[in-house]
Amino acid sequence: MTGTFWRRLALLWSRNRATADLEEEMRLHRALRAEAMQRHGHPDPDAGAARRFGSSLRLTEESREAWGFGSADAAWQDIRYAARRLRQRPGFTASIVGILALGIGATTAMFSAVDAAMLRPLPFTRPEQLVVLNRLGIPFVRAGGPPRAPSFDITSAMAMRDVFSGVAAYASGGINLADAEHPRRLKAGVVTGNFFATIGVQAARGRTIAPADGEATASRVVLLSWELWQSALGGRDVIGTTIPLNEARYEVIGIMPRGFSFPSASDVWIPMSVPSTPATFEPFRGYLPSTVIARITAPLEVAEARMRDAWQRAVSNLPRSPGQKLGIDETLERVLSDGATQPLRSTLVADRKTALLVLLATTGVLLLIACANVTNLLLSYGASRARELAVRTVLGATRGRVLRQLLAESVLLSVGGAAVGVSIAPLVLGALRTVMPARLAGLAPVQLDLRVLAFASLLAVVTGILFGLWPAFGATRGSSVAAIKSGGGHGASASGTRRSQRVLVGAEIALAGVLLVGAGLMLRSFERLVAIDTGMQSASVATLEMSFQRAVRQETRIQRLAAILDELRRQPGIVAAGAVNDLPLRGGGGIGISVTVSGAPKSSENTYPRYLVATAGYFDAMGIALRQGRDFSSGDGTGSVAVISQSMARTYWPETDPVGRTFLFGGDGPPFTVIGVVDDVREAGMESEPGPQMYLPARTNLDANLAIVARGDGTMAKATLLAALTRAVRNVDPAQAVYNVRMMDDVIGASLAARRANTTLIALFGLLAVVIAVLGVYAVAANAVAQRSREFGIRAALGATRRDLLRHVGGEMVLVVAAGVAAGAAIAWGASRVMTGMVYGISVRDPGVFATVPLVLALAAMAATLVPARRAMRVEPVEVMREE
Amino acid sequence: MREDIPQGTLDLLILRTLAGASDRPLHGFEIANAIESVSGRVFVVEEGSLYPALQRMLVQGWIAGEWGRTADNRRARYYHLTAAGRRQLERALKSYDRVRQAIAAILNPSPRGT
Repeated sequence: MTGTFWRRLALLWSRNRATADLEEEMRLHRALRAEAMQRHGHPDPDAGAARRFGSSLRLTEESREAWGFGSADAAWQDIRYAARRLRQRPGFTASIVGILALGIGATTAMFSAVDAAMLRPLPFTRPEQLVVLNRLGIPFVRAGGPPRAPSFDITSAMAMRDVFSGVAAYASGGINLADAEHPRRLKAGVVTGNFFATIGVQAARGRTIAPADGEATASRVVLLSWELWQSALGGRDVIGTTIPLNEARYEVIGIMPRGFSFPSASDVWIPMSVPSTPATFEPFRGYLPSTVIARITAPLEVAEARMRDAWQRAVSNLPRSPGQKLGIDETLERVLSDGATQPLRSTLVADRKTALLVLLATTGVLLLIACANVTNLLLSYGASRARELAVRTVLGATRGRVLRQLLAESVLLSVGGAAVGVSIAPLVLGALRTVMPARLAGLAPVQLDLRVLAFASLLAVVTGILFGLWPAFGATRGSSVAAIKSGGGHGASASGTRRSQRVLVGAEIALAGVLLVGAGLMLRSFERLVAIDTGMQSASVATLEMSFQRAVRQETRIQRLAAILDELRRQPGIVAAGAVNDLPLRGGGGIGISVTVSGAPKSSENTYPRYLVATAGYFDAMGIALRQGRDFSSGDGTGSVAVISQSMARTYWPETDPVGRTFLFGGDGPPFTVIGVVDDVREAGMESEPGPQMYLPARTNLDANLAIVARGDGTMAKATLLAALTRAVRNVDPAQAVYNVRMMDDVIGASLAARRANTTLIALFGLLAVVIAVLGVYAVAANAVAQRSREFGIRAALGATRRDLLRHVGGEMVLVVAAGVAAGAAIAWGASRVMTGMVYGISVRDPGVFATVPLVLALAAMAATLVPARRAMRVEPVEVMREE
Repeated sequence: MREDIPQGTLDLLILRTLAGASDRPLHGFEIANAIESVSGRVFVVEEGSLYPALQRMLVQGWIAGEWGRTADNRRARYYHLTAAGRRQLERALKSYDRVRQAIAAILNPSPRGT
């Protein structure tokens, strides 16, 4: 049997050769027969021989069947036949493949993003057991400071061994890989000693951070990502050697596996001690917010209940004077309302889940529209082929065979569309990756792999059958005799086709309307967002960030900063310069500090004004308007002064003028005197209202991290301004590393990158949907006019005016378009809730959008019917009659 | 009176013809002539139907074909039986015999038990 299989394969492989052989044999046979007949005196030997032989064509066909693989071979024949037919109509084929490629390419690209972010397992052992313990803190102790006050924190959870097999914490910060010339800014994961054991990931080389590394007295160690090891250290054997991070040397203990970069795209990992100490965060020159995770051994609900219980018990047992409210009370309230535990994946995916799903749904709808449109094209095509199909049926092709051939055509089209689509998907993906690297990219890299290709192939087959089945059934349904007689295109089945087309085009318009509403909502939100008053005049403001080395003493830092700012102010073209510890909208996340103001209203409790440090000139340089009082000045001396934001003024001094008033940090320390009030500045993000902010003078509170800000007069080129900024720092200290040298507008732009990407993609998909739908309207109207030209001719001959004809064609389409637009608006209205969380500053049922979209869509669709309708008007009765 | 060749019998005839030719391979025209003369012109094949049958048997591996030259130097494909072809011929003859006896038994029932 296997021999038979291989012989068949060999024959199929050399099909042409085998066919030629067969034909030669048959030719010889007929020639020999003719000669024999001639010898017997046959009057017409050639014809006689041919008659005796039978139909060569049919016999060749039968012989080929002997080689074939039965149904597989028949399918192959169908496909070849379909390919031949499609080649004969290149324009038709190209437009269908193009439309499908758009739909399939977009859907495939979005699927790969969703797959990476949400479907693929997290790169941890048993990731479903990992949860985040919400709002759980890590105790912080200062050497020689007061002993830790009892609280509820990570150490409490670590003791709950019956529900957690491991409790660990991580934070993320920036650190410099010091290199004399080109310091490189790295992302550092700061993790507790049991972090890697808890997530269950091992090093590719060496070892991971161990509990002993987390001891406060342990020596400095670092774990490298595979990618950093390759790019910065050339993949050399570096374990046991040291590398310089900031100014200290860290011993390399291991290399993580390729692709591992949790949390938030870390390049290196260094240990965090529990309780944490100033030394833990020293490399980052500031506190880092940490996340506590745990591996649960009990079901999630049990762990949640146990945590709530523990929280409540611990907080109620804390020592307090009667009626005293503690900071942790509010935390407890939040935990009780939002939950104490949360699956790790949902935390990581949280802010991009909606955006990803909405985008995926958008591409899915786009694909549906594309399918509807292709179905429409095939229906028109089917109507014009009705006669051909009828002839083939009469000649003996079964309905099944004709159906199969039509389906072969549509599947071939969709596979072609998928092939082109998959080849354009990387373009879409590339765009996705550049515009939203951090937010959209999941833990697994976004890429086109076998899963995605399998998804695209599935899409191709499903869409092919989806859009092919209806036209194929329609085309094979009618009576063949009627189709042949009518000459195709005029019979009852043609009007049935037109009805299907109208339904489809109505559906296309409805779906396009839904996408257009989504696009409108996103665009309006974006418009609102960029028009927001950030509290700054950021145009022609240049910024850079730097960290003073630890060895540089405080006085020297202050002197150097003053020298840098003086140098900048001396430059022609620079109108103001200043410095701040943390740039607004940079995405760093700052510190809030509780302040005490005597006589402050009750509503100001539980407010943590944001702590900022600025130099004189910062407000001018950043364009933050001073509303009352004055800026810092050299005359402030060492006195404790502060500039506050309007929001802070409203919070603590709603009735009075805050200038000249004082406040305390926490409950003690020297009082700070308010010397000025400035505008609120957006800092956590463009979409979040700024809370109270306070600025303390750099002269007394200078931190190691700071950003230099210089305002150009608008005449200087950006590059020149940025170069001047860098040069000013280098002139003062050539060894000082600077990073993130960029215009303030770019800082703002970066903070909007994810939203811009979402908006661009949704708007683009919406536009594509409308274009495809409008093309569909055009095709249907044109088809109707073409098929009914005879009818129009007769009507014209019977005295219908051109206006009547226009009304006739237009009227038909007006109904379709109106129904589609109304359905689309209704669907969008009903589904608008999915956009909650994606719109900003407007309602998800924004009346402007819901009024504009149907209008625009209806106008576009009607414009598309006008062209064919005008053609109907110009039908000459005489010509139509002659055609028949 | 001429009759069409029953389906499947053609294969048997071809195999038998090739076996009868002992070691000499035959080309298509020769096979057709041999069948015609042996069958006493009762069976007149639509001659061309020989070729799909030959292709089927080639695929089955019962026969093999090689290109050669005729006496007057024309290219022709010469077929010969393979070992598998011989076995197939035996099988086919046996089953043909069984069928023939069965048909004969039905057509001429011999009195039973006497």
